[in-house]
Amino acid sequence: MRKKQFWVGYAFIAPNLLGVLLFFVIPAAVSAVLMFTDWQFASPVFHFVGFDNIKRLLHDEQFYTSLANTALFLASVPVSIALAFLVAVVLNRSVYLKSLLRALYFLPYITNGVAVAFVWMLLFQPKLGPINGLLRSIGIENPPGWLTSPDSVMAAIDIIWIWFMLGYNMIIYLAALQEISPELLEAAKMDGARKRQVVFRIMLPLVSPTTFMLLVTGLIMSIKTFGIFEALTQGGPGSSSLILSLYVYKTAFRYYEIGYAAAISWALFAVILFITAIQWFGQKKWVHY
Amino acid sequence: MLFFAILTVLPFAWMISTSFKSPSEVFDFPISWIPANPVWEHHQKIWTGSASFVPYYLNSLKVSLISTIGATVLSALAAYGFTKVTFKGRDTLFVFYIAMMMIPPQVLFVPKFIIFKWLGIFNTHWALILPGMITIFGVFMMRQFFLSIPNEISESAYIDGAGHARIFLQMMLPLAKPALATLAVIDFSWHWNDFENALVFLISRELYTVPLGLQNFILEYNVDYNGMMAAASAGILPMLVVFFIAQKFIIQGLSGTAVKG
Repeated sequence: MRKKQFWVGYAFIAPNLLGVLLFFVIPAAVSAVLMFTDWQFASPVFHFVGFDNIKRLLHDEQFYTSLANTALFLASVPVSIALAFLVAVVLNRSVYLKSLLRALYFLPYITNGVAVAFVWMLLFQPKLGPINGLLRSIGIENPPGWLTSPDSVMAAIDIIWIWFMLGYNMIIYLAALQEISPELLEAAKMDGARKRQVVFRIMLPLVSPTTFMLLVTGLIMSIKTFGIFEALTQGGPGSSSLILSLYVYKTAFRYYEIGYAAAISWALFAVILFITAIQWFGQKKWVHY
Repeated sequence: MLFFAILTVLPFAWMISTSFKSPSEVFDFPISWIPANPVWEHHQKIWTGSASFVPYYLNSLKVSLISTIGATVLSALAAYGFTKVTFKGRDTLFVFYIAMMMIPPQVLFVPKFIIFKWLGIFNTHWALILPGMITIFGVFMMRQFFLSIPNEISESAYIDGAGHARIFLQMMLPLAKPALATLAVIDFSWHWNDFENALVFLISRELYTVPLGLQNFILEYNVDYNGMMAAASAGILPMLVVFFIAQKFIIQGLSGTAVKG
C-alpha cells in the first residue's frame, strides 16, 4: 500500500516536477557554474576563472549604484501597503459603490506594464506633460524633469509603482478586514474607543499577518521586476535608474558577458534571501496570529 | 475616497482621450478630456494597415491560452498529489518547491536560453508556452484549496475502492471549479502581460506578442503620441474584458491565498 502510494503520488506530481527540473533546477545549477567562468555569448571557448567575477563585482561601481537604486525602488512597497490599508479601511465602511471602486483601484494591476509605461512617460513629459502643467498652474515654477533627470527619475518610478501596486494591496486588505468579527469592533466602540483608535489599535494589529504577507511577496516581486524599467528608461539617464535586475539583463543580453551576469544574478538572489530572512525573523515582533 | 479612485483611473482616462485627439491637442493644458473633434484614425491605424496589432494579438492569444490551460491542469494534478496522496518525502519536496520561488528569473534567463537552443525551441512560441505551463504559484494556490477539502471525503472513496485517478477526476475537479477558474484568469493575465520572457526568448518580429508589439511601436513611431495611446488602449482591452467578467473570481482567489496563506 505504502509503496503503491509512493508511485501514485509521484505520478500526479511528475509532469509539473519535470517542468520544475527543466526550467528551474537545471538552469539554476548551470547558472551557478557559469558564475565561475568568463564565457561570452559569441565565443565557444570559456575558462574557469575561480572567484574573479565575484571580486570584480565587489569593485564595480555600477553594481553599487544599482544596489542603491534597488533600495530606492523597494521603498515604494511599504508606502503602497500603508496607503492601501487606509483606502481599504475607508472602503470597508462605505457600502455604496464598493464593487465599482474596487474594480477601479484594481485596474492598474492587471494592465500591461508596457502600456502603463507609455502613458506615464507622456504624463511625466517635463515641458508639456499634464503633471508638470498642473504643478506650474499651482505656482511651482521649476517642476522636476521626472524621468529625464537623474535626480527625480527614481521618485517618478516610485510614484508609478505605488499606483501600480495599490489596488492589489487594497483588495487583499479588504478581504482581511472582512474577516474581523463585527462584535469585536462593536465592543471597542462601547468601551469608548475613538475611530482612530479602532483603526490603529485594533484593526492594524489584527491584519498584521496580511501586512507581513504583502510585504514579503511585494518586495520579492518588485526586486525581480525589470520590464517596466526597460520600457520607461532603460536604466537611464546615465545609470540613475539602473536596478539590479535590469543590470543582470543588460550585462547578459546587451554586453554578452554571461559569466559576469551570472555573478550579478546570484547577488540579486542573495539580496532576496537577505530581505526575506530579516522579515522572517523580525515578524515575531509585530505579527500577531 | 472617490477622489482617490478617480486619481487611479485618470491615467487611463487620459490615455483613451488622447487616442482620439489630433496631434496638436495632445498636451493641451488644462487637459481637454473630451476632444472637440474625435479622431478615429489612430485606432484605425492600430487595427488595419502596416502597423496592425492583429498578428501580435493572435500570437498573444495562442501563447496565453495554451500556457494557461497547461498550467491549470498541471497545477491541479500536482496539488492533488501534494495533498491527497500520502507518500514519503512529500512535504520535503513541497518545501523545495517553495524555495524555488525565491530564485529570481534573472538567474535562469541565460541557462534557459541555452536549454531552449538545445531543445530547438528558442525563438519559437514554445519557448514561452512550455515554461509557462509550470507555475509554482499555481501549485501553491491549488494546494491551499485542496487542503480546505476534508481528507475524509477522498479517503472514504479510496476505501470504497475508487482509485486516485477517479477521485481526482470525478470528485476533486468538479469541487475545484471555482479555484480552477480563478487560477486560469490570474494565469492568463500574467501571460498576456508578460514582457520580460518575450523580450529574452523571441527575436523574429512575426512571433512578437502584444507587449513586444507595443514596444516595437514606440521605437518606430516615437513621436506619434496619439498612436501610442491608441496602441496602449488596444493592449489593455482584452484584460479589461476578462477582468470585468471574472472580477469576483480574481479578487476572491487572490485574497484567499494571501489572507489564509
